[in-house]
Amino acid sequence: MVVLENVTKIYKMGSEEIKALDDLSLEIRDGEILVVMGPSGSGKSTFLHLVGCLDRPTSGKILIDGKDISNLRERELARIRNRTIGFVFQQFNLLPRLTALENVELPMIYAGIPKRKRVERAKKLLEMVGLSDRMKHRPSQLSGGQQQRVAIARALANDPKIILADEPTGNLDTKSGEVVINILRDLNRKGLTIVIVTHDPDITIIAHRVIHLKDGKIIKEEVRV
Amino acid sequence: MIFELFKESLRSIMSNKTRTFLSMLGITIGVAAVIAVVSLGQGASESVKKRISSLGSNIIFITPGRIGGAGGRLAQAVGNVLNEEDVRKMKQFCYSLSNITPVLQKQSVILFEEKNTIATVMGVYPSIFDMMELKVEKGRPFLESDEGKRVIVLGEKIAEDLFEGEDPVGQKVYIITSTGKQSFTVIGVLKKSGQLLFFNPDNAVFLPFKTAQYRIFHTKKVSLIVAKTISQDLTDTAVSEIDDYLYKKFKDENMYNIVSQEAILSTLSETMAILNLTLGGIAGISLLVGGIGIMNIMLVSVTERTREIGIKKAIGATNSSILLQFLMESIIITLIAGIVGILLGALIANFVGRMVNISVLITPSVIMIAMGVSTGVGLFFGVYPAYKASKLDPVDALRYE
Repeated sequence: MVVLENVTKIYKMGSEEIKALDDLSLEIRDGEILVVMGPSGSGKSTFLHLVGCLDRPTSGKILIDGKDISNLRERELARIRNRTIGFVFQQFNLLPRLTALENVELPMIYAGIPKRKRVERAKKLLEMVGLSDRMKHRPSQLSGGQQQRVAIARALANDPKIILADEPTGNLDTKSGEVVINILRDLNRKGLTIVIVTHDPDITIIAHRVIHLKDGKIIKEEVRV
Repeated sequence: MIFELFKESLRSIMSNKTRTFLSMLGITIGVAAVIAVVSLGQGASESVKKRISSLGSNIIFITPGRIGGAGGRLAQAVGNVLNEEDVRKMKQFCYSLSNITPVLQKQSVILFEEKNTIATVMGVYPSIFDMMELKVEKGRPFLESDEGKRVIVLGEKIAEDLFEGEDPVGQKVYIITSTGKQSFTVIGVLKKSGQLLFFNPDNAVFLPFKTAQYRIFHTKKVSLIVAKTISQDLTDTAVSEIDDYLYKKFKDENMYNIVSQEAILSTLSETMAILNLTLGGIAGISLLVGGIGIMNIMLVSVTERTREIGIKKAIGATNSSILLQFLMESIIITLIAGIVGILLGALIANFVGRMVNISVLITPSVIMIAMGVSTGVGLFFGVYPAYKASKLDPVDALRYE
C-alpha cells in the first residue's frame, strides 16, 4: 500500500519555481488499478517518479508499506525500485545491447539472484507475455508491442507488489496496445497493484479508479466497478 | 554480481571497438615507452657495472692531479709528477696493496711490414696482466726477466689489424717514436677483452716498463700508477695509505688523484640511476597523457549512456553498481593496454638492445610497476567519469534523448 500525504514537489527552472505537485494526498490501495489522467504539465510524470522512488518530494510524506521514502538512503530507494516496484515506460527503455532474455534478467542481477534461477524465471516470464520464441532477439529486432511485453516481463522479474506504467500504450498501435492492456489486467487479477499514467481514455476501461490531475492537484476522482 | 558487472563492462568495451582501441593506444604507447626505456637503461648500467667490476673492485688508480681552476680559470693537469720511485715506496709502505705497477701510456703508430695502425702503447710491470685479468691467447706475457728486452704483447685488435689472422708470435713490429723507429719482437697476443675503464686492452700493446722507458718514452716520470689491494674490504684503507704517502711527498692534495674502482662504480651507478629515472619519467608523461585520453573517452561514454544509466537505476541498480561498472571498464581498458604495452616495450627494448649491443634487463619489478601504474591510471582517470555516472539523477537520465 502506498500513501501520499500532503506531497509537494517544486522544480527550479533557472530562477523560476515550478510546482509540479501541490499538496497532494492520495492512497493507492493494494490490488487496485489506478489510472492517473491529465494534460501534459499536470504533474502526472512527477507523481509517477515520486511513487517509483526515482525522486523525493520537496515536502510531505510518501509511505510505501508504512515506510517513509523521503528519508530513505539512495541504496534503500534502489532496493525498493528493484524489489517492490516494476516500471513500464512509454519508450519501452530496454537496453539495446542485451537480448530480450538478458533484459528480463537484469533486475534479478541487481537483486543478486544466481544465474540458473535468473534464466529460468526470465524464460517463464517471457513465455507468460507470449514471447517464448523471441528470447534471443535484441530490442531492435522486435516490434513495439513485443518490446513493451519484454518490458513488462522485466518489470515482473523480482515479483514486485506494484507496477507503475507511464503511457504504456503511447507508442503502440491499437492492437498491440490492447494486448498490453490485457496483460496488465491479468496481472492485476493475480493480485498486483497497477498504476497507469496516461492521456489515453481507452485505458480507463480496466481502471478501478481514475483520478484527474491539473496543476499538481487532483481535480476529479471517479470510482469504477 | 561483480562477475555480471564485469561481463557487462566487457560487452560495452567490445561494442565500440575502434574507440576502445584508440583509447588503449595511448596507454599502450606510454607503458611500452616506460618499459623500453627502463629496461634498456637498466641493461646498459648493468653491463657497464659488470665491465667495471670484472676488473675487480679492488683496483686503485693514482694519477697526477689538476691545479688551478679557481676564479673561472681552466684547471690544468699538473703533468707527470709521479715516478717509479713512488711505486717502489708505495709497495714498501702501503701494506694493503698486493700489487702495483707504474704505467707509461701514449698513442703511437705501430707497423708490421706494409701495414700500420694506431695503438695505445703501455709500458708496465708484468703484474699488470694479473691485476687487470688480461689473458694471453697466443704466446706468453712478458716476465720480470724480460725487463729491458725488446719484446711486445699485442692487444687482440692490433694483432688482427696488423697480421690479419697470421700468427704474430715471433714477428717483428715497429713503433714510431719522436726519434725514429723502434723494433720489438712479438711474444704474445691477448684475448679479446672489451673496453675497460681507462683504456681498451684490445687496442693496446704492452711493453716491459724499462723497455718502454728507454726506447719510447725517454722519461723518469710515469703517466699513472695502478694498484690492487689484497682484498676488497681493504680498498678504503689502501686509499688512505696511498694518500698519506703522497701527501707527505707533495704537501698538496691537488697534485695527485686517487680513484678506487669502488668509488667510480658508485658514482656511475648514481649517475645511471638518475638518468634512468629521468628518462623513465619522461616516458611516464606519455602514460599520463594516455590516462587523460581514457578519462575523456569515459566521460563521452557516460554522456552517451545517460539514458541507459537512468533505466538501470529505475530497475534497481544502486549508485555503487553503476560506479563499479564504469570503473571496471576503464580498468579493463588500461589493463589490457598495459599488458600489450609491456609486450611491445619488451620487444622494442630487445630490438634496440640488439642494434646497439646492450643486454636488456627486464626485471619483474619493472613489469609490476608498469602494470600497477597502468591500472592505477585506469582507476585514477576512471573514478571521476564513473562517479559522475553514478550520481546522475534517474529522472533526468530517463528523460535524456
